[in-house]
Amino acid sequence: MSAPDPSGLVGATRSVVDGALHLYGSGPADPATAWARAVLHDARARLDEPLRVALAGTLKAGKSTLLNALVGERIAATDAGECTRLVTWYRDAPSAAVVREDVDGRRGAVPFTRDAEGLRIDLGGIGDPARVGRLLVDWPSRGLADATLVDTPGLESIRETNSRRTLSFVTPDDRPSGADAVVYLMRHAHRSDVGFLEAFADLAQGGAGGLGAVGASGTIVVLSRADEVGGGGLDAVTTAGQVAQAYREDPALRPLCQTVVAVDGLLAETARTLRQSEFTALRALARAPRAEVDALLLSADRFTAAEPPAVVAEALASDPDGVRLDEPTRRRLMERFGVFGIRSATTVLRRGARTGRGVVDSPSLAEELVRRSGLGELRDVLSSRVLGRRDVHQARSALLAVDLVLGRAPRPDAGPVAAELERLLTGAHAFTEQRLLAALRQGQVGLPEGTAGEAERLLGGEGPGAAERLGLDDGAGSDVRAAALEALDRWRVRAESPLTSRAAAEVARAVVRSCEGLIGALRPGEH
Amino acid sequence: MTQQGTGGELTELVALARRAATAYERPDLERRLAVVARAVADDRARVLVVGEFKAGKTELVNALLGGRALPTDAHRATTVPTVCVHGEQAGVVLVRGVAEPDGRASTEQQPVSPGALAEHVTEKGNPENRAGWSHAEATLPRPVLEGLRLVDTPGAGGLASPASLSTMAELPGADAVLVVADAGRELTAPELALVRTAAAVSPTVAVVLTRTDLHPHWRRIADLDRGHLDRGRGEGSGGGGHGNEGLRAVRVLPTSAALALHAAEEADLPAETAQALVTESGIEELRRLLVSEVVAGRQARRVRMATDEVLVACEQLATTFRAERDALADPARAHRIAAEVEHSRARAAALRDRAARWQQTLNDGVADLVSDIEYDLRDRLRAVVTDAETALEDTDPAKTWEQFAPWLHQQVSAGVSTNVVWAEERTRWLAERVATHFAEDGEGVLPPVAVGPSPDGSGLVADPVGMLAAPDHEKFGFAQSLMIGMRGSYGGVLMIGMLTTIGGMALLNPFSVGAGLLLGSKTLVDERKRALRRRQSEAKQAVRRHVDDVIFQAGKNSRDMLREVQRTLRDHFTTTAEELERSLAATAEAAHAVEADGAKRSARLADVEAELERVEHLADRARRERARASAGPARSSSSRPSRLVGA
Repeated sequence: MSAPDPSGLVGATRSVVDGALHLYGSGPADPATAWARAVLHDARARLDEPLRVALAGTLKAGKSTLLNALVGERIAATDAGECTRLVTWYRDAPSAAVVREDVDGRRGAVPFTRDAEGLRIDLGGIGDPARVGRLLVDWPSRGLADATLVDTPGLESIRETNSRRTLSFVTPDDRPSGADAVVYLMRHAHRSDVGFLEAFADLAQGGAGGLGAVGASGTIVVLSRADEVGGGGLDAVTTAGQVAQAYREDPALRPLCQTVVAVDGLLAETARTLRQSEFTALRALARAPRAEVDALLLSADRFTAAEPPAVVAEALASDPDGVRLDEPTRRRLMERFGVFGIRSATTVLRRGARTGRGVVDSPSLAEELVRRSGLGELRDVLSSRVLGRRDVHQARSALLAVDLVLGRAPRPDAGPVAAELERLLTGAHAFTEQRLLAALRQGQVGLPEGTAGEAERLLGGEGPGAAERLGLDDGAGSDVRAAALEALDRWRVRAESPLTSRAAAEVARAVVRSCEGLIGALRPGEH
Repeated sequence: MTQQGTGGELTELVALARRAATAYERPDLERRLAVVARAVADDRARVLVVGEFKAGKTELVNALLGGRALPTDAHRATTVPTVCVHGEQAGVVLVRGVAEPDGRASTEQQPVSPGALAEHVTEKGNPENRAGWSHAEATLPRPVLEGLRLVDTPGAGGLASPASLSTMAELPGADAVLVVADAGRELTAPELALVRTAAAVSPTVAVVLTRTDLHPHWRRIADLDRGHLDRGRGEGSGGGGHGNEGLRAVRVLPTSAALALHAAEEADLPAETAQALVTESGIEELRRLLVSEVVAGRQARRVRMATDEVLVACEQLATTFRAERDALADPARAHRIAAEVEHSRARAAALRDRAARWQQTLNDGVADLVSDIEYDLRDRLRAVVTDAETALEDTDPAKTWEQFAPWLHQQVSAGVSTNVVWAEERTRWLAERVATHFAEDGEGVLPPVAVGPSPDGSGLVADPVGMLAAPDHEKFGFAQSLMIGMRGSYGGVLMIGMLTTIGGMALLNPFSVGAGLLLGSKTLVDERKRALRRRQSEAKQAVRRHVDDVIFQAGKNSRDMLREVQRTLRDHFTTTAEELERSLAATAEAAHAVEADGAKRSARLADVEAELERVEHLADRARRERARASAGPARSSSSRPSRLVGA
């Protein structure tokens, strides 16, 4: 797969890794060298693969559910109890396959079936689960084309081995992190969450090259179960959105992640896999008397109880579609939508029926529910700010691997490779951008009133594209050029002004360079 | 003060006994009964509502109260513990400890309007409890609070870390602990650790699952949690032979605060519907637990304590009268009776003697404890130092100190508090042994009921250690206000750990992460290795110095605590012996002073018989009261239906 590499960063990184591979390819076959070789080979291979995005978070935060929502298919199994016990990779592939990889590297096929409920992996025959290192699920899906998604067991589980699996995948001791980027799910920000994010971004290493800042920029925090945060009322996700906003500004979280978004994972998953039968069932429910339905939805128990109140039953019996909302159907609806989901769906369906516009059929309901669940926002952020900076995140993983190898398996003749690494770490403009963005977000740099936001944007804080950087609606060629030139002039003045502080001047110079990059990228189109 | 059921009767009984002691010129007994009267007057059970940050604790408290009395918010968490008590006049008082110029601690109280509570006890107006309030006391006219002090605590584990410390500090001495957890997921490892700690220090612990209205699978979650509690720890978690049996007694109560509040707030709901909602919410069951088990349990313990004390006093008074009566009835035997009493008196005096066996048990026991506890502390902290040094080996302290210092503080605090809890357990055991020896030494002299374990094995009659261990809000508030002032500097970090333990608080913190995870685990590439080595060794030295300081302070602390225990126990038993001696002296005197004149003698005999009857009558009343209390708390509670929601 050929990756877009606008900054040339991946190419430069590849040559550093190749240099290191060449260095360690010769020489004694002691365990340290063998280990170094393995780490470097893996790092080299990763540069040509899709970005690896791990879904991590505390127990029952909804990681598998969100993974299904992102892919748009029910491929990860979900359950009321703790369910995901192995680190499971979901990769795009021409045909479906499930492979088990043991800790010792041995692999074996795992039987699986697929039904309406999704993918069912039969783990019965895998023997001792402690031996299994990870599961690899190959699955043909457009949702997996841009990124390999890695589902992880919950942190803070009572079954400690499960949590340890996640830690040794995302923040291992003897390898660079298995993930290039992380979608971190939490219900509320706990100190332990912050500890995990710090470990992934590795801010302690923040010095040279600002790789810590890059790690943080590849982290998206999701306030999952947004419906519960807001108490399950109709405005629950809006309330959760406000909570997410507050976390975005929290000094403890801000330096550790790209952004915080609120998502109702269950509703998102269901909306993306909505079935016609579910739509008609919900429509029937929306037609029943509202007060009675609301009373029914006071609790999950009431809704799924064997006998709904007579009024509701009557209304349902006379439904024009002939829908039978019997107990199993209601139970399934509750399972798939949750209290908040059913409340939202019936509300928008009622409005649609009243006005004849908006939500009137299954696709429009799915679309509206995706929007309400907050999944839309997450996908936008993920694609523009994380997948869009694939070069930066992959380069980070690879360079950390080289750094680790040089540190742990030192060689007297490593000088040239180390120098090359150092040059890339400190010199690559893409890294500088991320480092300065982090500094700006933490408020470490005092910029003149009102210019910090623009600096963040121009440095790619809202996405790497020209339009996003320049704050344009859509990037028509001439517009971009004019806007970029204008920004360039403005920031050059700031960079050169003797009144600007050193830190601010550094930011201004980097902004100038980013603007130059934008203009440079346009040049071919001009001819 | 609210007195319900047996409460009023009990107060009256103690008052009567006090009057009798005064009338018979026994000020020593009167003093002792005065202490009992005070304890009986305030017999509210302390119930803590604890759990992780944003678990729905305040919402649950509101549901218990039957209305939104305390502020809740989707985002902002509670930062100050709020104590809810019953009272006709609603009102809120904020309390904090202040340091007087002369170094003593006292408290400052500020009444605020109940509507403004959110400004003071949540992150909204008081993030990280910057105002330094130790707690808020809300008086509410809600009948369910009768006999309770319901404490809503700040959650553990939030970003504003000090909150979790205060939660832990509140645990010891609570009559019940409700651990609040979400019905949407199984207990997490930190939550289970919290349950375990609570079960170690409190007689009644329940896991309260919240938001069953939103989670269709709450029954499965409840079953899973039940399983975790029965097993006591996670599968395959290998090490750590923690005591798990206690967790079987922990109940799992599924609740939905939303349903209960809905029922309480929607005025136009049909009564039947409201009742159905309340029943479904599970809140009633929780209330029943609080009333029948917690309040009644505490009440029963109090009744037992008070009636025992009254019986002891009666017995001492009666002994004197009985001796006089016998002497009056048979003047020829008067001298022999007097001699017998003298003999008993000598034995009672011997009980006070330094050479008495219980005194030796006490002195030796305390000496042993001092050295054991100190050894335990050193051992725990040595492990912390080893961990810290390993972690520092791989990192550059210049970059990681900011994260490292709080971690160290947390580990040291955890070590010190585990040590404190252990010390408390051992001290309790020692107190019981001393009591047993005292009882054995004084056998035949002591009134049978004076010492020895009560029927439920809950220890001494007047539990002196319990009195010491009871958490003291004022003290704690003082420590916390100092914490706020000093937060930020490393010195402050050191002091906080100490102050909180000086306050006599145990702050076990299960919410900790390993240093390795915290600091990241990649090795350093630092060309300036020498500077790094120097920084590392300086950091290690700082760690050792800090730990040495802590050992010094905490060691002094526990020695002081033990000396205090020693003094209290000695005074307690010596006073008991003194009282006894006085009784016997009075008895001997009465026996000696038998009138020779027949007419006067028979008149006096009638008087004495009458007095004896009165004392017996009082003792009978105490015995009846006691029997009624042990007949079972269930009965007394069934007469008090909850009349809150659905009315």
